[in-house]
Amino acid sequence: MSGYEWLIGLAALVFAPLLGGFLRGIDRKLTARMQGRIGPPIWQQFYDFFKLIGKARAVTTKGSLMWVWGYLLLTMLAVYMLFAQRDLLIIFFILAFAGACLIFGAFSVRSPYSHIGAHREIMQMLSYEPILLLAAVAIFLQTGTFKVSGIFEHDGPLLLTLPLVFVAVLIALTIKLRKSPFDISASEHAHQELVRGVYTEYSGRFLALIELTHWYELVLILAFVALFWAQPLWIGVLLALGVYFLELLVDNIEARLQWSWMLSISWAAGIGFILVNIILIELVFGNVLRL
Amino acid sequence: MAGETLIAILILLPLATAAVGLAVKDDKLRRPFIILPSMALIAASVLLLFRVLDHGTITFTPSGTWDPIILILELALLAYFLYLGVIRKHVLVLGLAGFQLALFCLLKFAWLPSGFKAQPALHVDLLAVVMCLVISVVGSLIVMYGLNYMQNHERHLGLTATRQHIFFFFLVGFLGAMNGLVFANSLLWLFFFWEITTLCCYHLIRHDLTDEAEQNAMRALWMNLVGGVAVVGGMALTYQASGTLSMMELTGFGTVGPVLLLPLALFCLAGFTKAAQVPFQSWLLGAMVAPTPVSALLHSSTMVKAGVYLVLRLAPAYQDTYLSAVLAIFGAFVFMVTSLLAISQPVSKRVLAYSTISSLGLIICLAGINSGLAVAAAVALIIFHAVTKGVLFLVVGIVEQDIHSRNIEDMEGLTARLPVISGLAIAGMIVMLFVPFGVLFAKWAGIQAAATPFSEFYPLVVVFLAVGSAAGMVFWVRWIGRLISNVTTADGPPAEVRREPRASVPYLVVFSLVGGAVVLSVLAAPLVSWLINPAIAAMGYSPALDTAGWYLTTPFGSFSPWALFIVVALALLLPALLVKARPEEVMPVYLCGVNQPAEGPTFRSIADTPAAVETGGMYWTQAFGERSLNTWVNGAGIVLLAALFLGVIM
Amino acid sequence: MGLVAKARVKSPWIVHYCCGSCNGCDIEILACLTPMYDVERFGILNIGNPKHADLLVVTGPVNRRNVKVLQTIYEQMPAPKLVMAVGACACTGGVFHNCYNTMGGIDKVVPVDVYVPGCAARPEAIIDGVVLALDKLSKIK
Ligand code: SF4
Repeated sequence: MSGYEWLIGLAALVFAPLLGGFLRGIDRKLTARMQGRIGPPIWQQFYDFFKLIGKARAVTTKGSLMWVWGYLLLTMLAVYMLFAQRDLLIIFFILAFAGACLIFGAFSVRSPYSHIGAHREIMQMLSYEPILLLAAVAIFLQTGTFKVSGIFEHDGPLLLTLPLVFVAVLIALTIKLRKSPFDISASEHAHQELVRGVYTEYSGRFLALIELTHWYELVLILAFVALFWAQPLWIGVLLALGVYFLELLVDNIEARLQWSWMLSISWAAGIGFILVNIILIELVFGNVLRL
Repeated sequence: MAGETLIAILILLPLATAAVGLAVKDDKLRRPFIILPSMALIAASVLLLFRVLDHGTITFTPSGTWDPIILILELALLAYFLYLGVIRKHVLVLGLAGFQLALFCLLKFAWLPSGFKAQPALHVDLLAVVMCLVISVVGSLIVMYGLNYMQNHERHLGLTATRQHIFFFFLVGFLGAMNGLVFANSLLWLFFFWEITTLCCYHLIRHDLTDEAEQNAMRALWMNLVGGVAVVGGMALTYQASGTLSMMELTGFGTVGPVLLLPLALFCLAGFTKAAQVPFQSWLLGAMVAPTPVSALLHSSTMVKAGVYLVLRLAPAYQDTYLSAVLAIFGAFVFMVTSLLAISQPVSKRVLAYSTISSLGLIICLAGINSGLAVAAAVALIIFHAVTKGVLFLVVGIVEQDIHSRNIEDMEGLTARLPVISGLAIAGMIVMLFVPFGVLFAKWAGIQAAATPFSEFYPLVVVFLAVGSAAGMVFWVRWIGRLISNVTTADGPPAEVRREPRASVPYLVVFSLVGGAVVLSVLAAPLVSWLINPAIAAMGYSPALDTAGWYLTTPFGSFSPWALFIVVALALLLPALLVKARPEEVMPVYLCGVNQPAEGPTFRSIADTPAAVETGGMYWTQAFGERSLNTWVNGAGIVLLAALFLGVIM
Repeated sequence: MGLVAKARVKSPWIVHYCCGSCNGCDIEILACLTPMYDVERFGILNIGNPKHADLLVVTGPVNRRNVKVLQTIYEQMPAPKLVMAVGACACTGGVFHNCYNTMGGIDKVVPVDVYVPGCAARPEAIIDGVVLALDKLSKIK
């Protein structure tokens, strides 16, 4: 530990939205290219963001606005804690709290669309929460600590001993990124039965705040992926970018699934993979806590 | 005051209050008769805490005259259960009570030498004091809350002759019995108090005397008698194997070596019945027919806590055994399945009941993991669960008397109608659910403890814990969502905002419990270093939590509750204070453009008739309903129990 | 030009509402999204929700049933907002001219900023119209 983690954490708070917005721009560009279109400029997300900031305020209830701020600030807290290399379990718990804030925001308006979105978002949490917690446990079995700093002190990339956990995490991340086939709570593309699900009732600057939170979330998720190859970190970054590309590809070739499918896939495949991987650790790779 | 006096007060004062209260039939007069002893009880438990912190464990044996008194009462009690079985024509109760009585007599008069005593009779270490605090503080608060509640309750039922004196007789007596139970070192004494709690529970559940209440009370009775039989059987086997009936000696403080596992397994089984673990969960679910203070008491501080207390108390005795490993799996399994079952429940009290069972399962799982970290987490969970569950039951009670429904669907938009109480409910649920609050601290430590390979089956335990905690999220988040849903229209809230009696006793009780939960969570680190670490050290575990700098640090991770609390509080409170919604900015919800103008969420239906938008909660009954899961859940629970006993016998 | 004003021009999100058109113009609007015309390269998104949209694109002559819907959708768009009438019907009533149940053009109901004529309006014309609208947007302070 160098003692400067908090500085890295703060720096992450500043740069994460830039990076996240940029990555989202690349997402739209690549999606357009995959569909044979030219697509918007990669700065498009920032244009959207500032445009939304400049719109007139229109609110449905005060409650929903409050929770949006909670969603943003708690996500920022999680980002800070990840980059400051704190306890992974606590980071996931905070992320869950942030996600719950988004749900509360959608629930506080009596709108059928946002309520359906909120319920589906709850199902999404039920799907990915166990995977994230179990992934933290699997990492713990390799590094002997739940702290992110422990991953950097661990020699050898985690990916080699936790390949199946990595696959499970990919499933969870698809849900968390709200990409097809799991964009069930807020359809990424308009003109569907949900309108925009949990986001339906937000407009103007509050929509911009949600967009900002998504940028933080994206960076957080990719940073977590990068931890699977933490030394040297540039391989991890490449890994994360590769994963991001994969998510885009899947997003473009998959249709939306029902929640029950999502739940069975994430539990049966996700948890199953992690269990098999933990057994592999016990039998083949070795559990550091037993050594 | 000497420790012995305090202990005597803590056991006898509630019993005496109960007895005196039986004669008081006037509501006004009852108030001081209940409130003053309750205050005294709280004070005594706090004094006892300081006493034990300063001077260490207290052991003492009351004078010999008590033994025959207890024996006579005990026999009378067992005979009474038998009598209940006869007059209610309940075969199970009859059989179990008869068997219990016969076994007890056999043990007492044939196997034990005459004049046998397990010395010392009482043994009050820090774990017992923690339990005593939970019982005395949370329990007394609930009793005080009961004063108003029962008045309203009887008015609502339109009773002519009050039955409150009977109610408070059992309610207050319960506290004394619980204190006796946690202080007891002699298993004979423990059994006596154990049976008293069964009795109180039975009478409290059937208090309203409806058919349903009678039925559910009988069910509670026979299930708890299974536990009683298990305790007697456990005692008999313990005595056969080791010649002692002292808890201290069982748990490795005395001279006797590790005894057979079978009696320990029987004691655990008794704990499962009291703690309503699968497959015995139905008695606790049925107990919700009783008036709310009863549910609050049963769920938070008494009864079910007696079950987990017994399991946890015996944990050092079965450390590193097969029993311990199976307990961990069993507890984690119960934690998961009851959380999943709770998802499908629209009735608030059932949700709370399932979540209680699931928290107790977690405590049992932690006892089974049986490391310093796990046991510390278990103790923390006992404290935090008692406080928050107390809050939630009391809130549901207040709401129920106001809206005359306990269904979560009827609580939609409650924040607009009863802002104070629903705010407290939301606070309670957030404390229950999210970091950095106490319940989550226990989960955090629990997952860490489960991930250290304590047995071959730890991956299974970890998976159960992870799924269970995600499932817990579902029903709490949805419930909060229903509460905060905005149902106001352009003409204002649907029902006028009620003036809530903020200064009344029930509100003050809920306030203080919520406040207590938050303060304890923020001060979790000092709480651990000051109370929990010494408590588990007294049980023979090495403290696993370090609290330097008010960080909670385990060997594997750390976080700082107070710092996180500040950030989280800012993130939620600042927007609440600063964000404003000016009236001219308010816009109706999106309804595909068919909004009825200026009438809130209303749309134009066929022939331009206005139709209000209705939103409802989803309960996913197909996937998580009792109908589709119960057979599997109970089956798996029985298989696990069978595995436990088979493994222990072989 | 300020940052917000510049961003406004670069990111017009549209909500498309059909007020009883023959669907000819609707198809042409959707054609604008296809790879052939790809309006997303100008940052244009078909967002499907008035609360998120900047530009209301309307086809059809507006009849007495959906006039209120059109009004509500327009009201639910937060300012600054523009309205674009696509097709002869939306501009003047078109082939439905003088029908007993139509209003004869959306400018009878909401203020229109850009008229795109044609029956059906060609995608090129629609894009032209959007560019005009953007021009107007850039002048909003
Ligand atoms: S303008 Fe022509 S193509 Fe367009 S909606 Fe009217 S009739 Fe149809």
